Amino acid sequence: MSEQALRLLIVDDERSIRRFLRVSLGNQYQIFEAANGAEALTAVATDHPDLIILDLGLPDIDGVEVTRRLREWTQIPIIVISVREKEADKVAALDAGADDYLTKPFGIGELMARLRAALRHTLTAESESIFKTGNLSIDLSKREVLIGEQPVALTPTEYELMKFLVKHAGVVVTHTQILRAVWGSGYEHDSHILQVNISNLRRKIEPNPARPTYITTEPGVGYRMKII
Amino acid sequence: MALIQLQTLWKNKILEGAQIWRYLLSMLLVAIATALSALVVWEFSPTNLIMIYMLAVVVTAIYLGRGPAILSAFAGVLAFDFFFVPPIYTFSVADTEYLLSFAGFLLLGLTISYLTAQAQEKALSAQRREAETAALYALSRDLTIIDDIDGICSTLSTHIQSILKCEVHFLLPGFEAYSSSHQKLTSVDVSEFTAVSNWVLQNQLPAGKGTDHFPAARGYYIPMITSLQPIGVFVLQPDDLLGQLSVEQLRLLEAFARQAALAIEHVHLAEQVSQIQLMQATEKMQDALLNSISHDLRTPLVSITGALSTLDEQDILMDDETRRSLIETAREEADRLNRLVGNLLQMTRLEAGAMHVVMEPTDIEDLIGAAIGQIEDRILERDIRISIPPDLPMFPLDFVLIVHALGNLLDNALKYSPPGSPIEIEATQVEQEIQISILDRGVGIPPADLTHIFDKFYRVQHPEQVTGTGLGLAISKGIVEAHGGHIWASNRPGGGTSITISLRLGTGIDL
Repeated sequence: MSEQALRLLIVDDERSIRRFLRVSLGNQYQIFEAANGAEALTAVATDHPDLIILDLGLPDIDGVEVTRRLREWTQIPIIVISVREKEADKVAALDAGADDYLTKPFGIGELMARLRAALRHTLTAESESIFKTGNLSIDLSKREVLIGEQPVALTPTEYELMKFLVKHAGVVVTHTQILRAVWGSGYEHDSHILQVNISNLRRKIEPNPARPTYITTEPGVGYRMKII
Repeated sequence: MALIQLQTLWKNKILEGAQIWRYLLSMLLVAIATALSALVVWEFSPTNLIMIYMLAVVVTAIYLGRGPAILSAFAGVLAFDFFFVPPIYTFSVADTEYLLSFAGFLLLGLTISYLTAQAQEKALSAQRREAETAALYALSRDLTIIDDIDGICSTLSTHIQSILKCEVHFLLPGFEAYSSSHQKLTSVDVSEFTAVSNWVLQNQLPAGKGTDHFPAARGYYIPMITSLQPIGVFVLQPDDLLGQLSVEQLRLLEAFARQAALAIEHVHLAEQVSQIQLMQATEKMQDALLNSISHDLRTPLVSITGALSTLDEQDILMDDETRRSLIETAREEADRLNRLVGNLLQMTRLEAGAMHVVMEPTDIEDLIGAAIGQIEDRILERDIRISIPPDLPMFPLDFVLIVHALGNLLDNALKYSPPGSPIEIEATQVEQEIQISILDRGVGIPPADLTHIFDKFYRVQHPEQVTGTGLGLAISKGIVEAHGGHIWASNRPGGGTSITISLRLGTGIDL
C-alpha cells in the first residue's frame, strides 16, 4: 500500500457540505465520501479511512448508531458534526465512542485542529509520558504537575482527573466518561463531585479560575484539556 | 334577608296541615266563647249569643287556618245547642226556629273560614312571590359583577344554599368541570349523575326526585338553558331526604338556572370576543415580526453575497487588502446570521414551551467561565472583571440555558459599550437567591426603556448604528423565568448599564 496522505471519510447527506470539505481538506487528506449511514459503514470497511467526519443527522441510520456500530470493531478516530442545541445527541455520540465533536457552522481551522487532536490522541496516547500545554506540564511517569518550575500539590483524585484529561488532551471528554474513569462505574451521574474537583483543580493550575485556559468547559457536553 | 324570609315562607306552607295543635286551639276558643256566653247569658237572648261563637270562628279562620275554622263552626253550633238552647244540657231543640239560626251560623261560619283562608293564602303567596323575585334579583345583581364561569357557579350555589339546605354540583360540558359543596362529593352517585344529567341536557327539562322523569334519583337535576342552547345542568342533593321540592321552589330554581346560564353565556361570548381581538393583535404582531425577521436575515446575506460575488467576478482587479476586507466582511456577517438563526430557534422553542429546564447543582465560577467562552472571539481587548465570593455554594440551574442567557447579556454589554471599556461580572448570594450582574460602562438605557428592553424585538434607539435583532434579552428573560427567576436592568451611577439575573435556590437539593 502506497500511502502519501491520510485517508479521510466524510459522511454528510448535504452535498454542499461534502463539497466544501473536499475542497478545503483535499490538499492534506485523501478524501472519501458517503451520503448516509449505510454507505458510511460500507466505506469504512472497503476504503480503510484513517479518520471519519460524521454528521449526526443522517437520513437513514442515526449518527450515534453509526458510531456505536463502528466501535464494535474499529477504534478509528471519529469527529461528529452537529448543529447547536443538540447537546444531548453530541454527548450520546461521544459516550458511544466518538472522539470529538464540532458544532455547525465551523471554521476550517477549528476542524483541522480537531482532526489533528483526534489523530494524536489515538496514535500517541499511550507512548508519551510528559505533556506540556502553555505553562503547565505533567510528567505521568513521575506523577508530577508543574506550573512553570513550581510543583503543584494535587490530591489523588485531582491527579487522576488531571491524568485522564491529559490522556485526552485536545479532545472533549464527557461528564460520564470522566466520572466512570476516575470514580468508577456507579458514579456516572454524580456531576456534583466532578464540578467540585474541576473547580479545585482550576484554582491550583489556572491563572484565573473564572476564565480557564487549560481546562475549558463545553456547556452541556463536558470538559476539554486545551493544547496551547 | 329576603332569602331567609323565603325559607320561612316555604316552611310555613309545609308545616300548615301537619299540626294538630291548631285544632286543639280552635276547640279552646270555642270553649272560651262558651264560657263568655255563660257569663252574659242572663243579659242577652240566646240567639244573640251565637255572635260570640261567630267571633271565635272568625278568629280561628284568621289565625289558625281553614280546617280549624270549619271545625270550630261545627263545634260552636253543637256547644251553643248543648249549653244555651232549651232544653239546656241536651242536644235536642225545643223551638224549631233555632234550627234556622244553626243553619245560618253554620253557613256563615263556613263562608267566613273559606274567605279568610283564601285571603290569607293569597297574601302568603304574594309574599312568597315577592321574596322569590327578591331572591332572583339578588342573584342577578351578584352575577353581573362576576366575569368568570367558576365565579358564576359558586355564586349560584351560594344563593341556592341560602334558601335550601343542599349540596350543589354542576355539569358544564364544554366548560371547565366545576363543583361546589359543603359536603364530600362522594354523596353524589356518579352513574346517576352522568345518566340523568345527560338526559336533562338533551331534553331541556328538569328531572330527578319528585319529578316526572327519573323520580327515583336522589337529586334534582335542573337544566341551564340560554337563548341558544342548553349549556349545563346543576344538581341539588338535599340534606334532608324527607321533603320534596314544591312547585314554587322548582320554579325559582329554574329561574335561577336561566339567570346563571345567561351569565355563563355572556362570559363565554365576552371571552370569545377578547380571544378574537387577541388573535388579531397577534396576527398584526406576527406580520411585524416576519418583516423584522426577513429584514434581519437578509441584511447579512446581502453583505455575504455581495462580498462573494465581488471576489468571484472582479478578483483580478483587486489588491490583497481589498480581498481580505471582503472576506472578513462575509465571514463576520455569516457569524451574525448564525447567531440570529440560533436566537430565533431559541425564541421559538421558548414560546412553544418546548424548552426543558434540567436543573443540576452548578458551580457558579464554572458557569461564568463558560458564559465568557460564548463571546471569547468578540472580546478583543476588553477588560473583563469577575467577582465571585469564594464560599458561594452550588446552585441548581440548567447549565446550558443559563450560559446562553448570560452569553446574551455579555454580548449586549459588548455591543453597547465603547471598545476598550471594562465589563464587570458580579455574583452574589442574597439569602436564598443567587444574583449575577453584568455591568458595562456604555451609554446606559433611557429610564423609560428600562422595562421594555426585555420585550421581543424591542431595541433602544441609539445614535450609532448597532446591529442586533432585539431577541437576545428577550431570550435571556425567557430562560431566567423558566427557572422561576427574575431579570432586571438599571443604570449605573457613573454611567453604564447593569443587568441582573436572580435565581432562587430550589428546594430538594441539599447543599
